[in-house]
Amino acid sequence: MGNTPFIVCRCEEVTLEQIIEVIERYHCSSRETKLRTRAGMGICGGRTCRPLIDRLTGQMDAEKAAYSLPLKVQPPVRPISFGEWGRGS
Amino acid sequence: MSYGRIENHPILGPLPETRRVCFLFDGRPIEAREGESIAAALLANGIRTLRAHEEQGTPRGIYCNIGHCMECRITIEGVSGFRACLSLASDGLDVCSGIVLPTPFQPAKLREGDAYE
Repeated sequence: MGNTPFIVCRCEEVTLEQIIEVIERYHCSSRETKLRTRAGMGICGGRTCRPLIDRLTGQMDAEKAAYSLPLKVQPPVRPISFGEWGRGS
Repeated sequence: MSYGRIENHPILGPLPETRRVCFLFDGRPIEAREGESIAAALLANGIRTLRAHEEQGTPRGIYCNIGHCMECRITIEGVSGFRACLSLASDGLDVCSGIVLPTPFQPAKLREGDAYE
Protein backbone atom coordinates (compact mmCIF):
# COMPACT_ATOMS: atom_id res chain seq x y z
CA MET A 1 0.00 0.00 0.00
CA GLY A 2 3.02 2.24 -0.71
CA ASN A 3 4.50 4.15 2.16
CA THR A 4 1.25 5.49 3.59
CA PRO A 5 1.24 4.82 7.34
CA PHE A 6 -1.09 2.01 8.41
CA ILE A 7 -3.40 3.51 11.06
CA VAL A 8 -4.45 1.00 13.73
CA CYS A 9 -6.18 3.36 16.14
CA ARG A 10 -8.36 5.74 14.14
CA CYS A 11 -9.49 7.93 17.03
CA GLU A 12 -5.99 8.72 18.30
CA GLU A 13 -4.24 8.27 14.94
CA VAL A 14 -1.68 5.74 16.13
CA THR A 15 0.00 3.88 13.29
CA LEU A 16 1.06 0.23 13.16
CA GLU A 17 4.73 1.26 12.94
CA GLN A 18 4.48 3.28 16.16
CA ILE A 19 2.85 0.40 18.04
CA ILE A 20 5.35 -2.18 16.81
CA GLU A 21 8.25 0.13 17.65
CA VAL A 22 6.95 0.68 21.19
CA ILE A 23 6.35 -3.05 21.74
CA GLU A 24 9.84 -3.92 20.50
CA ARG A 25 11.58 -1.19 22.49
CA TYR A 26 9.77 -1.73 25.81
CA HIS A 27 8.57 -5.38 25.46
CA CYS A 28 5.27 -4.24 26.86
CA SER A 29 1.94 -5.97 27.45
CA SER A 30 -1.17 -4.71 25.67
CA ARG A 31 -2.11 -2.49 28.64
CA GLU A 32 1.33 -0.92 28.62
CA THR A 33 1.18 -0.44 24.85
CA LYS A 34 -2.12 1.35 25.28
CA LEU A 35 -0.66 3.60 27.98
CA ARG A 36 2.42 4.39 25.95
CA THR A 37 0.83 5.05 22.58
CA ARG A 38 -2.75 6.06 23.54
CA ALA A 39 -4.03 3.51 21.03
CA GLY A 40 -7.36 2.36 22.43
CA MET A 41 -8.01 5.48 24.47
CA GLY A 42 -10.03 7.24 21.81
CA ILE A 43 -13.67 8.29 21.84
CA CYS A 44 -14.86 4.98 20.35
CA GLY A 45 -13.64 3.28 23.54
CA GLY A 46 -11.14 1.02 21.80
CA ARG A 47 -13.89 -0.73 19.84
CA THR A 48 -11.77 -0.89 16.71
CA CYS A 49 -8.19 -1.30 17.83
CA ARG A 50 -8.50 -3.14 21.16
CA PRO A 51 -8.42 -6.62 19.58
CA LEU A 52 -5.64 -5.54 17.22
CA ILE A 53 -3.43 -4.39 20.08
CA ASP A 54 -4.08 -7.59 22.02
CA ARG A 55 -3.13 -9.64 18.99
CA LEU A 56 -0.05 -7.52 18.22
CA THR A 57 1.32 -7.80 21.76
CA GLY A 58 0.40 -11.48 21.82
CA GLN A 59 2.42 -12.18 18.64
CA MET A 60 5.42 -10.11 19.65
CA ASP A 61 5.76 -11.35 23.23
CA ALA A 62 4.06 -14.74 23.32
CA GLU A 63 5.39 -15.88 26.67
CA LYS A 64 4.69 -12.54 28.38
CA ALA A 65 1.20 -12.32 26.86
CA ALA A 66 0.35 -15.65 28.46
CA TYR A 67 0.00 -14.15 31.91
CA SER A 68 -0.80 -10.50 31.12
CA LEU A 69 -4.40 -9.28 31.15
CA PRO A 70 -6.02 -8.37 27.80
CA LEU A 71 -7.44 -4.87 27.34
CA LYS A 72 -10.78 -4.20 29.04
CA VAL A 73 -13.84 -3.27 26.94
CA GLN A 74 -14.53 0.27 28.09
CA PRO A 75 -18.09 1.19 29.07
CA PRO A 76 -20.24 3.09 28.18
CA VAL A 77 -21.11 1.42 24.90
CA ARG A 78 -21.46 4.93 23.31
CA PRO A 79 -19.91 8.16 24.59
CA ILE A 80 -22.36 10.12 26.74
CA SER A 81 -22.06 13.65 28.09
CA PHE A 82 -22.15 14.23 31.84
CA GLY A 83 -25.23 16.36 31.18
CA GLU A 84 -27.20 13.48 29.75
CA TRP A 85 -25.73 11.10 32.33
CA GLY A 86 -26.79 13.22 35.27
CA ARG A 87 -30.21 13.98 33.91
CA GLY A 88 -31.16 10.27 34.13
CA SER A 89 -31.23 10.14 37.95
CA MET B 1 -16.70 12.78 -8.70
CA SER B 2 -20.25 14.11 -8.78
CA TYR B 3 -22.21 14.15 -5.58
CA GLY B 4 -25.94 14.58 -5.09
CA ARG B 5 -28.62 12.01 -4.37
CA ILE B 6 -29.73 8.81 -6.06
CA GLU B 7 -32.87 10.33 -7.58
CA ASN B 8 -34.00 7.11 -9.23
CA HIS B 9 -32.96 3.90 -7.51
CA PRO B 10 -33.19 0.76 -9.71
CA ILE B 11 -34.90 -1.16 -6.92
CA LEU B 12 -36.35 1.44 -4.52
CA GLY B 13 -37.66 3.55 -7.40
CA PRO B 14 -37.81 7.38 -7.52
CA LEU B 15 -37.12 9.46 -4.41
CA PRO B 16 -40.45 10.48 -2.78
CA GLU B 17 -41.05 14.24 -2.88
CA THR B 18 -40.40 15.85 0.55
CA ARG B 19 -40.11 19.32 2.01
CA ARG B 20 -36.76 21.05 1.64
CA VAL B 21 -35.02 22.28 4.80
CA CYS B 22 -32.00 24.56 5.04
CA PHE B 23 -29.32 24.56 7.74
CA LEU B 24 -25.96 26.24 8.21
CA PHE B 25 -22.70 24.32 8.10
CA ASP B 26 -19.83 26.55 9.27
CA GLY B 27 -21.96 29.50 8.17
CA ARG B 28 -22.67 28.13 4.71
CA PRO B 29 -26.35 27.41 3.91
CA ILE B 30 -26.98 23.77 2.99
CA GLU B 31 -30.22 22.57 1.41
CA ALA B 32 -31.42 19.19 2.57
CA ARG B 33 -34.47 16.95 2.33
CA GLU B 34 -36.56 16.64 5.46
CA GLY B 35 -35.72 13.46 7.39
CA GLU B 36 -32.23 13.31 5.88
CA SER B 37 -29.23 12.96 8.16
CA ILE B 38 -26.85 15.90 8.32
CA ALA B 39 -24.03 13.68 7.02
CA ALA B 40 -26.12 12.67 3.98
CA ALA B 41 -27.18 16.24 3.28
CA LEU B 42 -23.59 17.47 3.44
CA LEU B 43 -22.42 14.61 1.22
CA ALA B 44 -25.13 15.45 -1.30
CA ASN B 45 -23.79 19.00 -1.34
CA GLY B 46 -20.26 17.78 -1.95
CA ILE B 47 -18.94 18.26 1.60
CA ARG B 48 -17.13 15.17 2.90
CA THR B 49 -14.91 16.73 5.56
CA LEU B 50 -16.98 16.97 8.74
CA ARG B 51 -14.12 17.63 11.14
CA ALA B 52 -10.34 17.76 11.46
CA HIS B 53 -8.59 15.33 13.81
CA GLU B 54 -8.31 17.10 17.15
CA GLU B 55 -4.51 16.84 17.22
CA GLN B 56 -3.04 16.10 13.80
CA GLY B 57 -5.74 18.01 11.87
CA THR B 58 -6.29 15.20 9.37
CA PRO B 59 -9.64 15.70 7.55
CA ARG B 60 -12.25 13.23 8.79
CA GLY B 61 -15.76 12.41 7.63
CA ILE B 62 -18.32 9.64 7.45
CA TYR B 63 -16.92 6.19 8.20
CA CYS B 64 -19.47 3.70 9.55
CA ASN B 65 -22.52 5.97 8.97
CA ILE B 66 -24.51 3.97 11.55
CA GLY B 67 -23.51 5.81 14.73
CA HIS B 68 -20.81 3.38 15.87
CA CYS B 69 -17.41 4.91 15.09
CA MET B 70 -17.89 8.56 16.18
CA GLU B 71 -15.84 9.79 13.20
CA CYS B 72 -18.63 12.13 12.02
CA ARG B 73 -19.03 13.99 15.34
CA ILE B 74 -20.01 17.63 14.88
CA THR B 75 -21.25 20.54 17.00
CA ILE B 76 -24.94 21.46 16.71
CA GLU B 77 -26.11 24.79 18.15
CA GLY B 78 -22.90 25.01 20.18
CA VAL B 79 -23.31 21.57 21.75
CA SER B 80 -20.57 19.15 20.68
CA GLY B 81 -20.66 15.37 20.44
CA PHE B 82 -23.51 14.95 17.98
CA ARG B 83 -23.07 12.29 15.30
CA ALA B 84 -23.84 13.74 11.89
CA CYS B 85 -24.85 10.34 10.55
CA LEU B 86 -27.65 10.05 13.13
CA SER B 87 -28.75 13.67 13.59
CA LEU B 88 -31.54 14.73 11.25
CA ALA B 89 -31.25 17.95 9.29
CA SER B 90 -33.86 20.51 10.26
CA ASP B 91 -34.55 24.14 9.40
CA GLY B 92 -32.21 26.83 10.70
CA LEU B 93 -29.82 24.40 12.45
CA ASP B 94 -26.37 25.85 13.13
CA VAL B 95 -23.85 23.07 12.54
CA CYS B 96 -20.11 23.52 13.08
CA SER B 97 -17.35 21.14 12.04
CA GLY B 98 -14.67 19.82 14.40
CA ILE B 99 -11.41 21.80 14.61
CA VAL B 100 -7.88 21.09 15.82
CA LEU B 101 -7.73 21.51 19.60
CA PRO B 102 -4.73 22.98 21.47
CA THR B 103 -2.52 20.41 23.18
CA PRO B 104 -0.79 22.59 25.80
CA PHE B 105 0.77 19.78 27.85
CA GLN B 106 2.38 17.85 25.01
CA PRO B 107 6.09 18.62 24.44
CA ALA B 108 6.67 19.78 20.85
CA LYS B 109 8.56 16.61 19.86
CA LEU B 110 5.39 14.61 20.19
CA ARG B 111 3.79 16.55 17.39
CA GLU B 112 4.87 14.00 14.75
CA GLY B 113 3.27 11.18 16.74
CA ASP B 114 6.38 9.85 18.43
CA ALA B 115 5.71 7.29 21.19
CA TYR B 116 5.87 8.58 24.77
CA GLU B 117 9.32 8.13 26.30
